Amino acid sequence: MKTIHIFLIFVIVVLVQLFVPAKMIFDREDILKTGTVYKFKTRPVDPSDPFRGKYITLNYEMDSAESKDITWQRGEKILVYIESDSLGYAKVYDVSKDQLGTDKDYIEAKVIWNNGKSNTVNFELPFDRFYMEESKAKPAEDIYREYNTQRNANNDTYALVAIKNGEAVLKNVYINDNPIRYYIENHNNQ
Amino acid sequence: MKSKILNDLSELLEKNIISQEVASNITEYYRFKADSQPNRLFTVFGVLGATLIGLGIILILAHNWDNFSRLIKTLFAFLPLLIGQIASGYTILKKKSQSWRESSGTFLFFAIGASIALISQIYNIPGDLGQFLFTWTVLALPLIYLLNSNAVSVLVIVFASYYACELGYNFNFKDTTPWLYLVLLMATAPFYVRLLKKSPEANTTSIFNWLYVLSLTIVLGTFIEDNWPIGFLMYVTLFGVFYNLGKLPIYSKRQLRRNSFVVIGSLGTVILLLILSFNVVWEEILKGATLALNTQEMLITSVFLVLAFIVLMYSMKYEENKKINLFQYAFLIVTIIFFIGTTNAIISTILVNVLLLVLGLFAIKIGANTFRFSILNYGLLIIAAVIICRFFDTDMSFVLRGILFVAVGFGFFLANYVMLKKKKELNQKI
Repeated sequence: MKTIHIFLIFVIVVLVQLFVPAKMIFDREDILKTGTVYKFKTRPVDPSDPFRGKYITLNYEMDSAESKDITWQRGEKILVYIESDSLGYAKVYDVSKDQLGTDKDYIEAKVIWNNGKSNTVNFELPFDRFYMEESKAKPAEDIYREYNTQRNANNDTYALVAIKNGEAVLKNVYINDNPIRYYIENHNNQ
Repeated sequence: MKSKILNDLSELLEKNIISQEVASNITEYYRFKADSQPNRLFTVFGVLGATLIGLGIILILAHNWDNFSRLIKTLFAFLPLLIGQIASGYTILKKKSQSWRESSGTFLFFAIGASIALISQIYNIPGDLGQFLFTWTVLALPLIYLLNSNAVSVLVIVFASYYACELGYNFNFKDTTPWLYLVLLMATAPFYVRLLKKSPEANTTSIFNWLYVLSLTIVLGTFIEDNWPIGFLMYVTLFGVFYNLGKLPIYSKRQLRRNSFVVIGSLGTVILLLILSFNVVWEEILKGATLALNTQEMLITSVFLVLAFIVLMYSMKYEENKKINLFQYAFLIVTIIFFIGTTNAIISTILVNVLLLVLGLFAIKIGANTFRFSILNYGLLIIAAVIICRFFDTDMSFVLRGILFVAVGFGFFLANYVMLKKKKELNQKI
């Protein structure tokens, strides 16, 4: 093969290599700009990833739904339709295997297990990672724990998530309406 | 090697062993050889440097600089990628040397990883490490052929295996069979085949020999699902494929350290048989094995069995394989023993122990015939290992165990001594 042909194929490969990360960015930007934003109550802990750095894993209070369907399989895709409750937090409207004819927003999640007896299905929401600067992930977990032990109705930890067409982008994690980063900076200044 | 001969030249000249003319011819020959070879050291350091810089960039980006805005972080995600792409493009257009190809390819490989890692970080994109590694490897794969780069091929094989282990050895509900690993590995195969044809003697080729064998051996376990006892059969047949491949002239004519297929094929079979020589293992197999052909494990076993058989038949075409070598047939015998084992544990246990002893004797025989101490002692080691293993699960008296140990110890001495003597006699005759 001539050099110019190899180079042309290389240019295509280069374009694909640029397109994949660019597409990742455009999809997310689109959801952030035009998606609907919901609040999800959450509990964070901190692990890390060898290539992508430190993150806190978020467990959500909204992790199950009533379902008469007993055919749910572990790891299966589940569409979770949501709406906001009176306090502005997301709550399950309905779950389904296929799209429902409603204008409510939905998220594609994974079934963890299905309790046929109590008619509930447990699922894992996909936006469970919040990447943080390496020195801040651990304090974030500690701060959350600190606020959580002073259990009173005023302490709420939640994740702000933009949702559009089943895709979700995690925007930020809040404790009592301040981003978690705000507490870490205050914590470090003390 | 080269420097050693050159160093000795002056001594050989002084002692009048070679003439001045021969000495200058030798010097000239090595000088010419060195000139015609690409600068290997430069390539190695180029690849090492590119790997370290690439990994360093990934680590620096993993810090997550949250004081920068999203836009600046996004630009940083593309910067290493663009640098790598420009360097690689320049290498292709200007037909630069192998050192350039390897180094720019390696750098671009890591830049791709850095770029998608940073974007995952900025947008909190979910998805586990497995998916991330897969995207990375797929995007880098064409570079093997475009840059004709050994280093990128090595990296793709290593990362494909990493991906497979991440996906398959995950003991929660995400544990899935990494079928796409096979696709990735197959995609690197044409490059390896070309290397085998072009330069079977090269060190790079031996690195690939080892890489493929180790990768497959490590990853095969991820293909075992619920029918775990068949996992033994999967491995036995895989080692059967390896050993018989290693007996084909393209591999068997090289030194043993380059022939990973024979080494891992033989060692793997023996280690597996040692595990199977315990009766408890067979009792568990008896309880758990399903021989239904529609399980994933049985299907894979069947594929390997057929493959090993074809390679075995093919290897028979060559003169050196005409003599019966039990190691080549081991996978067939173990498969038969396994089917007996699913009905009767005791018979299988005994058969495996006998097979191991016979294999040990066979290795001793091959070693003695070819005057190779390594193979002779390998055979003795197999027999010693069987005896040691039997000490754990049989109620032999201490005296008997002691005598057996002493006997094997003498065996080691005697066999080596006899062969050494024979070899000396042979040398004297010549």
